[in-house]
Amino acid sequence: MARMKFLCDAERCIECNGCVTACKNENEVPWGINRRRVVTLGDGEPGERSISVACMHCSDAPCAAVCPVDCFYTTDDGIVLHDKDICIGCGYCFYACPFGAPQFPQQDAFATRGKMDKCTFCAGGPEEDGSQAELEKYGHNRVSEGKLPLCAEMCATKALLAGDGDEVADIFRERSMRRNTRPDTWGWDVAYKDGSHEI
Amino acid sequence: MKLTKTSKHPRPTPDAPPEGTLGKAINRRAFMQRTGLTLGGGAIATGLAHTMVRRARADQKATAESGETVTKRTICSHCSVGCGALAEVRNGVWTRQQPDFDSPLNSGAHCAKGAALREHGHGERRLKYPMKLVGGQWQRVSWDAAIEDIGDQLLKMRKESGPDCAMWMGSAKFNNEQAYLFRKFAAMWGTNNVDHQARICHSTTVAGVANTWGYGAMTNSYNDMHNCKAMLFIGSNPTEAHPVSLLHILKGKENGAKMIVVDPRFTRTAAHADQFVRIRPGSDTPFIYGMLWHIFENGWEDKEYIRTRVYGMDKIREEAANWPPAVVEDVTGAPEAQVKLAAQTMAENRPGTIVWCMGGTQHTIGNNNTRIYCALQLALGNIGVSGGGANIFRGHDNVQGATDLGVLANTLPCYYGLSEGAWRHWSEVWDLDFEWVKSRFDPESYEEVGGAPVSAMNTFGIPVSRWIDGVLEDKENIAQKDNIRAMFLWGHAPNSQTRQPEMKKAMEIVDLLVVVDPYPTHSAVLPDRKDNMYLLPASTQFETYGSLTASNRSLQWREKVIEPLFESLPDHVILYKFAKKLGFAEQLTKNIEVNEDEPLIEDILREINRGSWTIGYTGQSPERLKLHAQNRHTFNITTLKAEGGPCDGDYYGLPWPCWGTPEMKHPGTPVLYDTSKTVAEGGLTFRARFGVEHEGVNLLAEGSWGKDSGIKDGYPEFTADLLKQLGWWDDLTAEEKKAAEGKNWKTDLSGGIQRVAIKHNCSPFGNAKARCNVWTFPDPIPVHREPLYTTRRDLVEKYPTYEDRKSFWRLPTRYASIQATDYSEKYPLIHTSGRLVEYEGGGEETRSNPWLAELQQNMFAEINPADANDHGIRDGSDIWVEGPEGGRIKVKAMVTRRVARGVVFTPFHFGGWYEGKDLIDKYPQGTEPYVRGEAANTVFTYGYDSVTAMQETKCSLCRIIPA
Amino acid sequence: MKSERRRRSWLALVLGGWIVVTAPIALSVTLTESSAGAEASDQEKAREASQNPRAEYWREVRHGAQGYSAVTGPEANVLIQDGGETWQELRNGPASTIGAWLMAGVVLALGLLQIFKGTWKLDHRTGRTIKRWSAFDRFIHWGLTVSFLLLALTGLGLLFGRYVLMPLVGKEAFGAVAAVSKPVHDYASPFFIAFLLLTVVAWMKYNFFTSYDLEWFKKVGGYLTREHVPAGFNNAGEKVWYWFLSVAGLVVVASGLFLLTPNFEWSRSTMQLSSLFHIASAIGLICFSLVHMYLATIGNEGTLEAMVGGEVDERWAELHHDVWYDEIMASRGTKAEPDAGSARVS
Repeated sequence: MARMKFLCDAERCIECNGCVTACKNENEVPWGINRRRVVTLGDGEPGERSISVACMHCSDAPCAAVCPVDCFYTTDDGIVLHDKDICIGCGYCFYACPFGAPQFPQQDAFATRGKMDKCTFCAGGPEEDGSQAELEKYGHNRVSEGKLPLCAEMCATKALLAGDGDEVADIFRERSMRRNTRPDTWGWDVAYKDGSHEI
Repeated sequence: MKLTKTSKHPRPTPDAPPEGTLGKAINRRAFMQRTGLTLGGGAIATGLAHTMVRRARADQKATAESGETVTKRTICSHCSVGCGALAEVRNGVWTRQQPDFDSPLNSGAHCAKGAALREHGHGERRLKYPMKLVGGQWQRVSWDAAIEDIGDQLLKMRKESGPDCAMWMGSAKFNNEQAYLFRKFAAMWGTNNVDHQARICHSTTVAGVANTWGYGAMTNSYNDMHNCKAMLFIGSNPTEAHPVSLLHILKGKENGAKMIVVDPRFTRTAAHADQFVRIRPGSDTPFIYGMLWHIFENGWEDKEYIRTRVYGMDKIREEAANWPPAVVEDVTGAPEAQVKLAAQTMAENRPGTIVWCMGGTQHTIGNNNTRIYCALQLALGNIGVSGGGANIFRGHDNVQGATDLGVLANTLPCYYGLSEGAWRHWSEVWDLDFEWVKSRFDPESYEEVGGAPVSAMNTFGIPVSRWIDGVLEDKENIAQKDNIRAMFLWGHAPNSQTRQPEMKKAMEIVDLLVVVDPYPTHSAVLPDRKDNMYLLPASTQFETYGSLTASNRSLQWREKVIEPLFESLPDHVILYKFAKKLGFAEQLTKNIEVNEDEPLIEDILREINRGSWTIGYTGQSPERLKLHAQNRHTFNITTLKAEGGPCDGDYYGLPWPCWGTPEMKHPGTPVLYDTSKTVAEGGLTFRARFGVEHEGVNLLAEGSWGKDSGIKDGYPEFTADLLKQLGWWDDLTAEEKKAAEGKNWKTDLSGGIQRVAIKHNCSPFGNAKARCNVWTFPDPIPVHREPLYTTRRDLVEKYPTYEDRKSFWRLPTRYASIQATDYSEKYPLIHTSGRLVEYEGGGEETRSNPWLAELQQNMFAEINPADANDHGIRDGSDIWVEGPEGGRIKVKAMVTRRVARGVVFTPFHFGGWYEGKDLIDKYPQGTEPYVRGEAANTVFTYGYDSVTAMQETKCSLCRIIPA
Repeated sequence: MKSERRRRSWLALVLGGWIVVTAPIALSVTLTESSAGAEASDQEKAREASQNPRAEYWREVRHGAQGYSAVTGPEANVLIQDGGETWQELRNGPASTIGAWLMAGVVLALGLLQIFKGTWKLDHRTGRTIKRWSAFDRFIHWGLTVSFLLLALTGLGLLFGRYVLMPLVGKEAFGAVAAVSKPVHDYASPFFIAFLLLTVVAWMKYNFFTSYDLEWFKKVGGYLTREHVPAGFNNAGEKVWYWFLSVAGLVVVASGLFLLTPNFEWSRSTMQLSSLFHIASAIGLICFSLVHMYLATIGNEGTLEAMVGGEVDERWAELHHDVWYDEIMASRGTKAEPDAGSARVS
């Protein structure tokens, strides 16, 4: 069984934000919600690195653990999805998530946030694959079409890898060896505590 | 702990059938390619479990049943990399965008702009109908009424003031066919007042580089950077300006290339470099001389290469002697160790490439900069080799094509120039009487060359950068009959030009102002104008089709994705409508089929093929380009050469020069001046463009020639006479002989002369040396001159600028008289400008795209923490940036170490504000871009390159004040 | 950054004193947090430094290093926040388990009390009543009661419903309940805040401790021995309840206000801390309120009448609040005859 993972190669990421708009494009994500973002550390100084981050589809996902209504579920491929029909917009998943992935359409008084929205690994939600309902709530279900998340597919420098964790790790290890850098699988130790984070 | 595989499933090979994982309508290659990693890790990931494959099969069925989705192959319209994109269209609506993994230029990769292309299918903030400004209000009018009224006014003005009273500002957003038709249109209207963004983009490159070795374009390609051993980026920030080029650059770096970035800013590109050298803005030439000093000092130059293929290097050596490390450090700020290390790295890691962009070109000495970059590469023997070259990244998606096809005030298509011979050549191609073409122009003469009067038809027109002076300058001082009275801004962002306060004035007093654009642009709101201004909605390139030329000279065929939105029309349709009204439609499209006012794109390209011998736009027939588009996957991603398939042996997009007729099947030229290949295989020598000798010194190559050359030495360009002298005349067919008699390789419409030259493995344009001494330029040997506005007053005396000029591109032009005044007391900071990855050019299009606009919501200025503290400015606070010519802008402060102390950087993509005021109310309703901001060029000042009138936007002065 | 720190220290200050009150939960919370954090980071550092020269860099990233992001949004410029893990561990761990045990313990204790001691009945009624609570008093009490019950029930539902209710009714049904619970919780809160403030202000005068309160504590209010202990208008237990309600109530309100106003873009660490304090104080309040509700209803005969009609039987007053009773009688100038058969103890 494949275990889907994202990996952002910090040696390659150039903060072009292609992943951010690709996600908007594929999933019609409205203004104010960003399922993916790029963070630049040490901006403007030697050692500057940029990293694209979204839901990492953690093993033992913290969001799922704290959800009062248990609206999260993990697919056979290790993708963490949620059911917007059940979500009550409490914001707990945002507090728990290490990566700041959960997004809310509103941030109003009386804790009004609307249904949580986050990266689906382009795998939609609980609705029927490829249905209009799924499209409207979660965006396109590329995985069911045999495709990978659009952010990774469109990454300008192929810094953002997506796919089966083993294969992604293989590619990254090979690439790191070629350029003599240490394979820093950024964020994996936080996301994959089932032991599959080291490569 | 090792990663444990939880499942094993067979990994299909790339050749295996896609195993049903793909929706039929999507029609792509094996699914594993999705990860697109063939480039990076050399590995392919499948990433799919069996469960998903089953789901995919079910999905495929569903899609096949509905069967409505069509996939169109388009090309991103946001920069010159030429990224392919796949558009899924259902019922005429652009429903989805898919990565084009087959494109050898980008393998599916996109930056923020490319990944947001589909928004063009929404176009919510587009200009929807023709609009006319009446009494300060925008009124909707019909196309017919607009063209009728504008046409009547033009005809009237033409009678009063001659054809030069209209200026046609075209666009790098045109496809090749539209660009060509635009230039032809201007010619038939009878003026050379036609220009486009290339003027303020790479005009100094084209002039400088073409005058060094023949052609002014990128010599190699993005893909060829896989082969580099060293890469020097100077005045170039591809990470933000050409993000997908990093796909190739980082591949080169991972192959072992050393990456050096020289820039006033610590850019995102610098973050990936092995070496970063910070220089003072405007000190590019001294920096390169600093490198050359070390190269000559240590004997690192390629002596044999210089002896056989370079003219004038001795003069460069003499000038370099004036730039010892201490002087270089004083002028550029770069310490000796860094300069030496950069020089040594380039010397020890050959072949190496140099990349430059606006940071080098947009200066009063832009042409000096571009020539000294070339000289550096010539000294190292890096030109004409794979992995080397001058990789000049162009800007817009088709700025290379629009330049090639002559949307320029100084040439007809394909750099034929404006001489009578050039006009005769094109008249012949157009199948028109030269005398009729001539009759369209103002017969008077306003300028002299060598004491002889030159008629308006043969003199440079007014360039983009100076049109405002064409309006504002006294009539007596302009070398044409009257001022510019009718201004067409056709696909042009005015906020990308300096001196906005004066532009505002020019826009207010010009008689007729017509904006043709998908968006209202900054033009719609900048002037306080009440009447006689039109906004005409043009379609984007996704609503039409045609070819376009990427930076690497490859032509790509772009399919139409959707029908024109709203009431917009494709540019060539609008052109035809105007031509009809103005009375020369018949001549404009004499050999071009027209369907309901739409000239047939394929026919236009065929006409281009018939006439463009100089730079080899002759072999790229519509049929060949379409074949390439269909078979993109057969091209190698490093060499760009098709391996098997119907395009076997061709280079992707037939990078020009693609010699001879399409039937000759020339594969295109992937690397210019590469003597290791025969010309028929895409090899070349340096062009013999400047005569055979200068001051008694031979300019032809000595002991260097192309592979298997029939002439084992240098030789001049091919003419009918030369063929006869060589005894090759009889290689021509009888028909070719008839056409070639008295002609040369550029003017023989049969292509026979080129065919025969290539048959003998000779370059049609001769085999000469590249020259470092351009004796026709103000500075034959590139030298440093301080910017007009400089903080280093102590350097002005030693490196003064030029004398003022009376007539330069028809206009008086100031240099020394501006530099004479010291502004640095009141304006102590250097002001420079550049790009953001999210926006393009003037930004109207990208700021109207919500997916992009959300990412950059505020115009800002980058300020070093030290300067911020000196001025009491906090990060994120509002400040005024004021320039020495009085312009001022209110922006957010971004306190960052990206810039050095004493330097302020602003991005130039913002518009819709003017001096602290949001002009949102002046847009036609519903067309306001999501993000508006001050135009950086409100503060940027006077200053023009001494050859091309390129504007100076990289070093001016400013002061900052908390708002 | 700075304002964030200020906000945090302010919060800590306000809540600091209260920690003592909810010692069991808060203590475990604090202990777990500090020990877990210190241990992990030390080990991590040592291991990584030996393997990776950039270890320090990546370590910083894992602990909330801030950068630049073109995306604007709450803390979009933070790559990884580490507070969430601690929060999750504490919320799903001690905060809810100890909380559950505490509540269960209280219910058990009250049950045992009821089983072994039964209702503390009045030996007789005089038929004469004394005014104990004004209409206003009763209004704020019942206002507080209703809003508190709404909050407690919906709050408990959000904390435990997933484990208790969902298995019974199913995900969808529970989701529907929760979808109602959350807005009810959010919109009941202003009422609770208002009633709480009124109550705290209005009743403070009854709740200053006196010397004989000590004896009440010694004898645990006499609930085990059924022995009447001296008490004024409020007995010592009620005073404790009052002060607990005041302090824990303020904590629950303060922390709740953070949670209620995401529009101010509080940082996640503020929200996490607020959430923990909210849970701890709320459970404390629930436990205490259980005791209160038991004693005011089935635990003691005649007590509920005070809050329903506002009047109590003189006998009830004499038995449970003798000092107050004496004061009332003194102020009336007459002393009612003690009923025959009633054994006036102490």
